[in-house]
Amino acid sequence: MVLKFIDNVGGKTLEILDSFYEALKFTFICTLHLLRPKSYNPAMRMVLTKQIYFTAVEIIPLFTIMAVLFGSVIIGAVIVLASEYGLQDKIGSIIITFVLDEFSPFFTALLISLRSSTAINTEIAVMNVNNELNTLRRYRIDLIDYLFLPRIISGMISVVSLSILFAFIMLCSGYIFTLFYMNMDFHTYKHLLISAIELKDLLVLLIKSITFGFVIMLIPIYSGLKTTNAYTAIPISVLNGMVKLFVAIFFIEVLSLLIQSL
Amino acid sequence: MLENIALIKEVHEHLATKDAQVQAREALAKINLQKISLYRVHMCNAYEIFCVCVVRAMMSDDKSVIIISPINLLDNSSSMDDVVSVIKKLQMSQDIVILDTLANETHYKEVSCNIVK
Repeated sequence: MVLKFIDNVGGKTLEILDSFYEALKFTFICTLHLLRPKSYNPAMRMVLTKQIYFTAVEIIPLFTIMAVLFGSVIIGAVIVLASEYGLQDKIGSIIITFVLDEFSPFFTALLISLRSSTAINTEIAVMNVNNELNTLRRYRIDLIDYLFLPRIISGMISVVSLSILFAFIMLCSGYIFTLFYMNMDFHTYKHLLISAIELKDLLVLLIKSITFGFVIMLIPIYSGLKTTNAYTAIPISVLNGMVKLFVAIFFIEVLSLLIQSL
Repeated sequence: MLENIALIKEVHEHLATKDAQVQAREALAKINLQKISLYRVHMCNAYEIFCVCVVRAMMSDDKSVIIISPINLLDNSSSMDDVVSVIKKLQMSQDIVILDTLANETHYKEVSCNIVK
C-alpha cells in the first residue's frame, strides 16, 4: 500500500519533471531560432506581417474601448483612494507605478491571451490533427521558423505596443479624475507624471510586456503541438493550454512584484 | 493556393514572396488552373488539390517525385489521363514515379508511360 503510494508519487513527479524539461527545451530552441538571422526568410516575414495585423491591429478598436472603460474606472478608484488617504503629494508616482509597472502589461496580456492565444492553440492543434504539420515537415519547412516564430514575435510586438497604448489611455483618464477630485490643471498633472516617471518604470513595462508576449504565444503553440491525433483532443489541448497560460501569467506577475520589491 | 505553392521557393531558395508567387501563378497557368490561385483548400475539388500537390512538388528541389495511388486522391470525374496530362503540361524536371496497387491496374490501360509490375 505504502510502496504503491510512493511509486505513484514518484511516477507523477518524474512525469511532471519530464514534461517541464520538454517545455524548457522547446522554449530554448524557439529562443535560439529567434536570434538566428537565417530564420527570417520571406515566407516567415509574410506570416509575421499577417500575425501582427491579426494580433495587434485588428484588436485596436475593441482594445481602446476596453482600455477607456476599465482603465478609467480603475485609475479613478486609485486616485479617489489616494486622495482619501491624504496621498495627494505622491499621486504622480502612484499613477506611474500602478499604470506602467503593473496594470497595463498585465491587462494587455490577459486580453491578448483570451483573443489570440486560444486561436493559436486551436490552429496548431487542428493543423497537427489534420497532418498539415507533417506535410510541412516532409517539405523540409522548419515549423519553428515558419509557424511558431512569427506568432511569438507578433505576440511580443503586440503586447508591448498595446501596453503602451493602454498606459497612454489610462494616463489620459487619470487627468480627468485628477481634474475633478483635486482640481488639478493639465500642466500640473503633466509635470507630476514627468517628475514621477523613472527609467526603471519604462524598463519594467518593456521587459514585462516582452515576457508576457513570449509566454502567451509559446504556451498555446506547445500545447497545440502536444495534441494527440483525434479531433476530440483539440478542446482538451486548448483547455490545458489556457490553464497553463494563466498560471504562467500570474507567476510572471508575482515574480515581477517580488523582483521589484527587492 | 498561390501562397501554399510559393512557400516552397520562399523557404528553400529565399526567393522574394512576389517572385515565388509569379512562378506559382505561371505553373498554375500551364494546367489552366489560374482561377484557383486565391482559393482556400475547402474551395477546391479533389482534382485541383491534386494538381496543387504536384505543382508544389515541382517547386521543391527533390530529384524525384513519388505519387502514391493518384486515382484514390481524385474524384470520379478524373482519370489517369488527367494525371499524366498534368505532369506533361508542367514539364517537370524531376523523375516522376507513380506507385499503385494491382487493384487499380485497369485505370492504367490507356496510359502512355512505362509500367513496371
